[in-house]
Amino acid sequence: MSLSMDKLSVLYHDGLHSIQALDEVSIELKPGACLALIGESGSGKTTLGHACLGLLPQNASVEGRISLNGQQIDYSDETSLNQLRWNRLAMVFQNGAANFNPVYRIINQVAEPLIQRADIGQAEAMLIAAQALSELGLNHDECNRFPHQLSGGQIQRALLAMALILDPEVLILDEPTSGLDAVTKTIVADVIQKARSGNKTVLLITHDLEFAVHNSDTITMLYLGQIMETLPAEDLLTSPLHPFTLALSRSYPAMSTARDLGGIRGDAFYRTVHQHGRQEGEAYRHSHIQSPGSGHESSHAPPTGCLFQNRCTQALDRCRTEPVALELIGDHQVRCLRHGIVSILDLKQVEKSYGDVVALRPTDLTIKAGEVFSIVGETGSGKTTLAMTAAGAFKPDNGTRVFDGHDMDEWIRRDYKSLARQIGVIYQSPAESISHRFTVLEAVAEPLKIHGLCRNSEERLERVIRVLAHVHLSTDKAFLGRYPHELNMGALQRVSMARALILNPSLLIADEPTSSLDPSVQAKVLKLLLDLQIELGLSMLFVTHDIGLARKISDRLGVMLQGRLIEFGPASLVIDKPLHPYTRLLIDSVSGLSRKSFNSGSSRVEPGGCPFEHRCTRAKDVCKKKNPQMLERDHRSVACHFPWDRPR
Amino acid sequence: MHINLKNELLQDHWFVVGFGLAVLFATVTLLGPPLAPFDPWDMSFAPISPPTAQHFLGVNDGGQDIFSELLYAVRNTVAFGLVSGLVALTLGVIIGLISGWFGGFVDTVLMRLADVLLAIPAIMILILTAALLRPSPVVLALILAGLMWPTISKAIRAQTLSLRESLHIRAAEQIGGGNWYIIRRHLMPEMFPLYLIGFAAKARMAMFMEASLAFLGLFDPSRKSLGMMISYALKYYYMDIWWNWLLPPIGCLSLLIMTVTFLAISLEKVLDPRLKQTMGERTA
Repeated sequence: MSLSMDKLSVLYHDGLHSIQALDEVSIELKPGACLALIGESGSGKTTLGHACLGLLPQNASVEGRISLNGQQIDYSDETSLNQLRWNRLAMVFQNGAANFNPVYRIINQVAEPLIQRADIGQAEAMLIAAQALSELGLNHDECNRFPHQLSGGQIQRALLAMALILDPEVLILDEPTSGLDAVTKTIVADVIQKARSGNKTVLLITHDLEFAVHNSDTITMLYLGQIMETLPAEDLLTSPLHPFTLALSRSYPAMSTARDLGGIRGDAFYRTVHQHGRQEGEAYRHSHIQSPGSGHESSHAPPTGCLFQNRCTQALDRCRTEPVALELIGDHQVRCLRHGIVSILDLKQVEKSYGDVVALRPTDLTIKAGEVFSIVGETGSGKTTLAMTAAGAFKPDNGTRVFDGHDMDEWIRRDYKSLARQIGVIYQSPAESISHRFTVLEAVAEPLKIHGLCRNSEERLERVIRVLAHVHLSTDKAFLGRYPHELNMGALQRVSMARALILNPSLLIADEPTSSLDPSVQAKVLKLLLDLQIELGLSMLFVTHDIGLARKISDRLGVMLQGRLIEFGPASLVIDKPLHPYTRLLIDSVSGLSRKSFNSGSSRVEPGGCPFEHRCTRAKDVCKKKNPQMLERDHRSVACHFPWDRPR
Repeated sequence: MHINLKNELLQDHWFVVGFGLAVLFATVTLLGPPLAPFDPWDMSFAPISPPTAQHFLGVNDGGQDIFSELLYAVRNTVAFGLVSGLVALTLGVIIGLISGWFGGFVDTVLMRLADVLLAIPAIMILILTAALLRPSPVVLALILAGLMWPTISKAIRAQTLSLRESLHIRAAEQIGGGNWYIIRRHLMPEMFPLYLIGFAAKARMAMFMEASLAFLGLFDPSRKSLGMMISYALKYYYMDIWWNWLLPPIGCLSLLIMTVTFLAISLEKVLDPRLKQTMGERTA
């Protein structure tokens, strides 16, 4: 049995304004498939479920069609609709116990659909209900209790039993796992599994990303009533294409993600639509996105354009106005003018040497918009050289650099300053990166001065104060007149963060920004940096020697060894299941598992061989002769002839 | 500047002494002619007379008032030293900065030129020029400056080379600061102590050079100069005139040189906070 929605739009009318709950949503569900619908609250997930069952309130108007097995469902015909509900289409509503009548026993309520819809006698119905409930793990005593006597998990099982009692062909689960512990969740997972093997169709409405990944095969991301991305479930946490999907997956505390919770910049509550002008033809329909503190005028969104643009990390001016349609990219469907998450920086085969010291062997590096990419490696592995090459401060001997879709070398020749505005750099030592002859004000205003912005000194002061407030520094006159040597390291590093941020860059490059700080100050500075990264929608390249630190902050992580990235991919994967022996050594050394002393890798590299060969326990002859190529494996890239293929 | 300049300076003995002397010499230089009791070219007094209430330092062999002569001579020597020192400093700083910051071919050409000039003894050139061409003292001061800049520019260049690798300059470059901006805002203020050292050394050298040339009689004999006074006084050293005729110009010359040195040391110490702790002992 397949369920499909074709350009389904739902508006809730409320006086002059209408709330746009769904906007031309098209979904196709095949038998045996499970589609997970994910979105923030208010994105229209539940409305979609209710629309399928024809349960929308009076003030809702529905456009588009919903078909079951290719046949359009006629929601005006109550009797046939009643036949459809429970028999062919069943829904598990959210909010558990609230769905039960408190004065009837559970078993009576579970048997009710049998009696009402299937014309089965009372006694037989009770037997079937008891059977169904026991299959879900509720014993005889529990079946005969009243709803308030059951725990949340038991209520959820009873709800599932009720929905499944008439063996419907389509099962809609609305937040079936909210409020459930991980163990109880497995019961829901079992039900979904069984339904799918019975060739039924499951629509899973949830905000539990990990549950969706494990139990569905396709995931649809809903944002303010629009589908932003439809993607294979396993790609959700590893390779999303839409900025919204990335931001949402970063907000979810999945076991597999190591990074501290991010969140999505800004806020959005719901979207209202209204018309100016009542006459046909001159009606101007436009929408607002309601968020805290927004009035009618300030939140005017154009009638076209991307709904996510004001929270997006890669929005262009045209994202505000140009209509965006869903397009197929690989096996994802993405609604984005920029065709999914773009690379803000793309280094290809960059090389750099100082005289006869090779600092960088041919290396690729891609930083996606809105992500934090960490480079980890031992001293002398070329981390800083790579970061400074990315920043445009060093010119590579070979290779190409692309920033935001433009050739960087050509950009530097043409107009270096406009490129410099896009890239902020935070250096390892704040005391040295700020001239000791500058006051805080002069140091923070220096970029403005160099770029000839805010020539008016009051305007400049205002801007400096704004950015200082961003980094949680004092903004009074006395502080602005301080010299670097009068500040502590934490404050000084914040000053250099303010310097890096004052030009509103889109890429922030931080070279060991916290290595000169003690742990408590480091924690504060890093937290601040990550908050800013989210709220300002920055992309970030973070260089550190501390893989424990990198794990906490990065979306993706790259490990460098002797001038080359030897493994990079999603941070959680690289840390949990390192593929390269060196990555494994690095992690083992941190966690104290490895106490073997290696002749720490001097630059003694056989030309053409693998740089890790002489320290590697898995090395074979070929490792001496051939430097391994980058392999694509398990969502990441690794340069090894014999990568580890099983977890530790 | 970072520090309370006034208090710091007033607590520094080098500065207090140097500044006191500087005020004295500045007064003499600026107000010399009105202060002088007589016209130093007036030869109407009794030759070689000891000091009297009228002639504080007596009268010389030509019947001229020595005190008035001294006031005019100090003025000439100071002017020569300042002009020559400042011009040498300016040349040295500009050439050193250009050489160190831009490097490459420009650097090579300028530094080879500096090497050539360093190899030529300045005193010889000056004696020859003064003897053969008889230029005005200003021209001689400029020629001297043209010979003295290489040591300054070598020091400035070396400092520029080390500074250009420093993080705050690399950061300013990354932000997009142009050559001129970085030179003006980052390099020049950093090298303040070098200017003082350079200027003090060159001004000292120029004053001494002026006295030497005058001593050798290579200037217009009617021009008053400390060197010339010493030279004339030496002819009568067997008479009892050393303390009123010979000693004053020698003392003035020594004090002038000390003034410049003292001021340079103290300013350097106070203005560069990182040198503050060690500098006193090191330069002294």
